[in-house]
Amino acid sequence: MLFEWLNPYYLQIASFILINVILGVSIYVTLATGQLSLGNAGFMSIGAYTSALLTTAHGFPMAAGIVLGSLLAGVAGVLVGIPALRLRGVYLAIATLGFGEVVRVVFINWESLTGGAVGIAAIPQMGREILATLRNAGFSPESLGLRSNQFISLTVFLLLLAITSAVIFFFLRLSSSRVGRAYSAIRMDEAAGEATGIDTTYYKVLAFSQGALLSGFAGALYAHATSYISPADFTYHRAVEILVFAVFGGSEHLLGPVFGAMFLTVVPEVLRFVSDYRHILYGTLLVLMMVFRPQGVIDPSLVKRLAGRNPAKEI
Amino acid sequence: MALLELMDVSKNFGGLKAVSDVSFPVCEGEIVGLIGPNGAGKTTLFNVITSMFPPTAGRVQFRGEDIGGLRPHAVTRMGISRTFQNIRLFPRMTAEENVMVGRHARTRSGIWGSVFRTKAQRTEERLIRDKTGELLALAGLSGQEEHPAGKLSYGHQRRLEIARALAAEPGLLLLDEPVAGMNESETGEMHRLIRKIRDLGVTVLLIEHDMSLVMSVCDRLVVLNFGRKIAEGTPGEVRNNPEVVEAYLGKEEDGQDA
Repeated sequence: MLFEWLNPYYLQIASFILINVILGVSIYVTLATGQLSLGNAGFMSIGAYTSALLTTAHGFPMAAGIVLGSLLAGVAGVLVGIPALRLRGVYLAIATLGFGEVVRVVFINWESLTGGAVGIAAIPQMGREILATLRNAGFSPESLGLRSNQFISLTVFLLLLAITSAVIFFFLRLSSSRVGRAYSAIRMDEAAGEATGIDTTYYKVLAFSQGALLSGFAGALYAHATSYISPADFTYHRAVEILVFAVFGGSEHLLGPVFGAMFLTVVPEVLRFVSDYRHILYGTLLVLMMVFRPQGVIDPSLVKRLAGRNPAKEI
Repeated sequence: MALLELMDVSKNFGGLKAVSDVSFPVCEGEIVGLIGPNGAGKTTLFNVITSMFPPTAGRVQFRGEDIGGLRPHAVTRMGISRTFQNIRLFPRMTAEENVMVGRHARTRSGIWGSVFRTKAQRTEERLIRDKTGELLALAGLSGQEEHPAGKLSYGHQRRLEIARALAAEPGLLLLDEPVAGMNESETGEMHRLIRKIRDLGVTVLLIEHDMSLVMSVCDRLVVLNFGRKIAEGTPGEVRNNPEVVEAYLGKEEDGQDA
C-alpha cells in the first residue's frame, strides 16, 4: 500500500489537537477583553449536544447541525455574557465555571432528551459521511492506495485543518483591526477605553459570545469527529484544560493558546511510555513555566521578533 | 449659546458634598481654567461632565443637548474628550496604537470589514494612520510611534494622552492637571501645545495647580472651594478676588500678626 505509514491513531490525535486549538482560541477571544471565562466546556457541550441530537434524532444534515449548535452556544454566550458584565476577575471565573457545571448536570439528568450519563452514540461521523457520499459518486479510496479507515481519518484531519486555519486567520485579522484594538484597550484599562469612545459593554458581550460560539463550534466538531459524546467529556477538567492552553501558551497573543493547545495535547501522547509519571511531569512543566515565563511561551514581543525578518508585518 | 453649560450641578458621595450647585458656561474657542485647592471637587466635576458618574442634581448641556444619562463613550462621541490626572494610557500598546484607539469614536469598521479587509475598511485604516501621524507630530512625538506607551518618559506620556483624546475630534477637551510634575521647559512646551489645540478650533477646559501656566494660558477662570464656585472671571479679576486669596492662603485676621 502506498500510504501504509498513515496511521489512523496518529491522525486522530492530530484531529484532537486541531479541535483543542479552536478551544484555545475560544478562551483567548474572551480573555482579549480581560474577561476570564471558565464556561467554555459548558458552551462546548451545548454545541456538541445540539448538533448530535439534531443529526441523530431529527435527521438534520451534519453541516446544519454544526452551524445550529454553534449558534445556540453563541446565544447562550450572550445570555451569560450580559450578567457577567457585573463580575470581574476571579468572580467571573467562578460564576462561569458554575455555569458549565449547571449545563453538565442538566445534560446528565434530562435523560429523555440526552440519554443521561450514558450519552449519545452513533452520531454521524464526518469522515464516514464524506466517504459514503464519495462512494455513491463512484469513488473508492482504494484507488488512491488508502484503506477505508485511513481515508476516513485523513479526511477528518484535513477538514479540521482547513477549518482551524480559517478560524485562526479570522481572529488574527480581527485582532489587528479596529475591533481588536478596542478589545485590547478594554483589557488594559476599561475606564480609559470607555472614555476614549469605546462602547465597552458592546465589545465585552461581543467577545464573550464569540468565545462561546467558538467553543460550541469546537464541541459540534468534536461530536462528529468521535461519533460519541457523554457529559463526562465536558467536566470542569475540560474547562481547566482549556484555561491551561492559554496560561501555558501565553494569553497576550492569539498564537499563545494555539501553541499551548498543540503542545499540551501532544505531550501526554509522547509521554505515554512513562505513563505512570505523566501527570508529575505535566505538573512540573507548568510550575517551571510559572516561575520562569509567567506570561506564557508566546508573547507579542516574541511574535514580533519572529515576524521581524518578514517585511509583511501584518496578516 | 455656550458650548458647555453647567446648571446647578451637585454631586454627593454619601454624606460628602463633593460638588454643590456649580453653574458656569464654557464658550466656543475659550481656554477656561478650573482651579481651587486640593479636594475642591475639580476632578469630580470632570467626571460628571464626561458622565463617568451622574450628577446628584443639576444638568450638563453640550451644544444645547443634555448629556444626562449618556454613557461615557457616547459623551466622547458627542464631542467631549478628556485626559486623566494619573495618566491612563494603554501601557503595552505602542504610542501609535494608543492614538489609533482614540479614533474609535469616529470610525465604523466592524467584524466583517476587519476580517475580509473590505475596501472601505482599508481606506478607513489608512485615514486612521494618517490622522494618527498628524496628531503625534502635533504633540511632538514623531519618531516615538513604535515605542510602548508605558515606557515613554513622563512628559511624553502626558502629551500622548492628549493626542489620543484629540483623535476623537472633540469640540471640547478636558485636561486634568496637564503639567503636574513637569519642569519649566516641559511646562512651556505644554503651554504652546494647549494654545495650538485652541487655534485648531478645540475649546479647552483645564484643571491646573501651576498658577503661572493658568494665569498666562487661560482666558477665563472658575474657582472652586469645598465643592462650591467662589469666583469666576479673567485671570486678573480672580487674582485680586479676596475670597480666592483666602481659599489659597488662609484668612488674615484683623489686628493679629498675619
